[in-house]
Amino acid sequence: MKFGKRLKQHVEETLPGWRDMYLNYKDLKKLVKMISSSIEYGKSEAEFVYLLNNEIEKFNVFFMEQEEDYIIRHKELQQRIKKVNESEASSQGEYEEEMARIRKDIVDFHGEMVLLVNYSNINYTGMAKILKKYDKRTGGLLRLPFIQKVLEQPFFTTELVSKLVKECETTMDELFPTMMVAVEMKEAATMMAGEGIFRNTVAALMTMKEIRKGSSTKSHFSLPTLNLPDNELIRSFQLNSPIPII
Amino acid sequence: MEAQPTLSFQRSAARQFNNHGAASVRSPPLEDKYPKFTNPQPNFTSGAVGHIFSSSSGMSSDFHFSSVVSHTNLSEKAPFIPQSSGILQSTTLSNYMKESNNSSWCTDSLPDFLDYPQNTPIPSSNLEHSILQSEDLLDYPQNAPIQSSNLEHSIMPSEDFGKQNWQDWTDQLINEDDAMTPDWNDILIDTNLADPEPKMAYHAGGSSTNLMQTQPPIPQSSGETCIPLTPTPCGSGSQSNSKPRMRWTPELHEAFVEAVNKLGGSEKATPKGVLKQMKVEGLTIYHVKSHLQKYRTARYRPEPSSEGPLETKTTSVEDLSSLELKTGLEITEALRLQMEVQKRLHEQLEIQRNLQLRIEEQGRYLQMMFEKQCKSGTDKFTAPSSAELPSLQANPNEPGPDPVTGPSEEGSSMSASGASQPAKRAKVNA
Repeated sequence: MKFGKRLKQHVEETLPGWRDMYLNYKDLKKLVKMISSSIEYGKSEAEFVYLLNNEIEKFNVFFMEQEEDYIIRHKELQQRIKKVNESEASSQGEYEEEMARIRKDIVDFHGEMVLLVNYSNINYTGMAKILKKYDKRTGGLLRLPFIQKVLEQPFFTTELVSKLVKECETTMDELFPTMMVAVEMKEAATMMAGEGIFRNTVAALMTMKEIRKGSSTKSHFSLPTLNLPDNELIRSFQLNSPIPII
Repeated sequence: MEAQPTLSFQRSAARQFNNHGAASVRSPPLEDKYPKFTNPQPNFTSGAVGHIFSSSSGMSSDFHFSSVVSHTNLSEKAPFIPQSSGILQSTTLSNYMKESNNSSWCTDSLPDFLDYPQNTPIPSSNLEHSILQSEDLLDYPQNAPIQSSNLEHSIMPSEDFGKQNWQDWTDQLINEDDAMTPDWNDILIDTNLADPEPKMAYHAGGSSTNLMQTQPPIPQSSGETCIPLTPTPCGSGSQSNSKPRMRWTPELHEAFVEAVNKLGGSEKATPKGVLKQMKVEGLTIYHVKSHLQKYRTARYRPEPSSEGPLETKTTSVEDLSSLELKTGLEITEALRLQMEVQKRLHEQLEIQRNLQLRIEEQGRYLQMMFEKQCKSGTDKFTAPSSAELPSLQANPNEPGPDPVTGPSEEGSSMSASGASQPAKRAKVNA
């Protein structure tokens, strides 16, 4: 139940509007348990597939909605930057203020998009796991072909969002003044960073790490353990986390 | 086995739509990255279908069959919005299954299905053959007198087709070989519509992009003129134009913004006007309307959007007051830090995703080998060409299984359970 627990944790910590959009892993697991003892094999499998399809549909709809939003917001941010750079009437103070706002918005926007990619990934992982469980329990051969289908779904084809993420990064590089950083700055920054979208992304990163820790069924087909170079730094961001993430 | 695969005419129609709709520049990025995916396809699908049949003791292969409930005729070249592709729902299929092989293929959703000569029983093996073998499928367009009995039992057309004349339909099938034949293999892998190049001819043993497993079905970097449309897996049989899911692209959005600006801004512009101005085929006023709404919201409440990060909104209010205390430098540094973590997360996500793709690719490859071996028997087993071998050795992140000899789930099942294989095969032929 490790993944299930992690997923639950993640869902609780994620953005409020997103909480209903994740995979119903627990329920599907229950169903798989039921099916393995059921006599009407064919019908149960069809039901299971039906539910999975509904989940996929749910993912797709949500993902594409968000994607559309991001496309719009991305463009708008670029417009804002252009406007700010071109408007000569504003004073230096106003300019700085607006730039600060833009910077914050870009970073949050970037974080949100990354969270969407994370959403996609977690749901995919959940699907792969539940399919594996199904095959294991029922001796069926549902997983392989079904997962092929999943791979092509809009919610898993995250190329566009990733592209937008990278573009944000490029924009950020241009907008951020390069400067040296003192240690005290870092501490203050750490405190501030424990809020908002940042908290979500840190949590997501830790969840990912946990999910990929060695499991009992680890095989050549499992993902390798996730080793993050700056583990301590990321952990330090969790000081404010209400849920202890081990 | 009463397998009744449905041909998704939507796909071919969508292809036509792409044909006529615009210069659809389909550049699935994954195609470039993973060209090797294309190669094992033809054999795989045929093998896998047999595989599927073996896994289901009856009807459960339904999930692979698209329920074609579109309302478009193949003959229509009008812009087409696929409504439902997708996986046949259990309830509808159970309806199908209640009929015998001989009976009509009518279901709740296909009441108008024409009166097929229902008396020609097709032995299931024949059915399988008519679907599975890619080589056979190729023959369909060329054989002028299409063995109608084979065809009619292999295809489950949509409602509209029901209304069509049987003869017309077979004629079309013969004619639209480009559009149609790839669909046969797609019966298995139900992809989304708005599929690739209309020019994509299907070659026996070769690969068409239809068979690309990882290809994103929606052209994301296509020109504005092509509307990427995603069909929704239908809920319960037929549904009319309920909610065509459209996938927006930045280019499309650019065109949208241009159109809006031409019409005087986001407040003044009307959906109808924008639709007309954009001149993009396949775009409906519904799409434009909802997009315009989002656009307006985004403009008048710049960052963040109304949904979603409510947390950030409240925290940003806190931040503002604390902002006065902290210096600009600190803020910038915090942002920089945040950015770093997010970048890291994104990086890991991409790596993870690539790994997952590779894992599945390897699984598919093993599956194909497995099927090949079973089918041709040990003496006739031919090693796959090196071109087909997915090269997994290059990636340092790769978990490191050897595709052919490494112990793995599928691999061990291959070697260790030689006895069970005949059992599985027996199931297939039952």
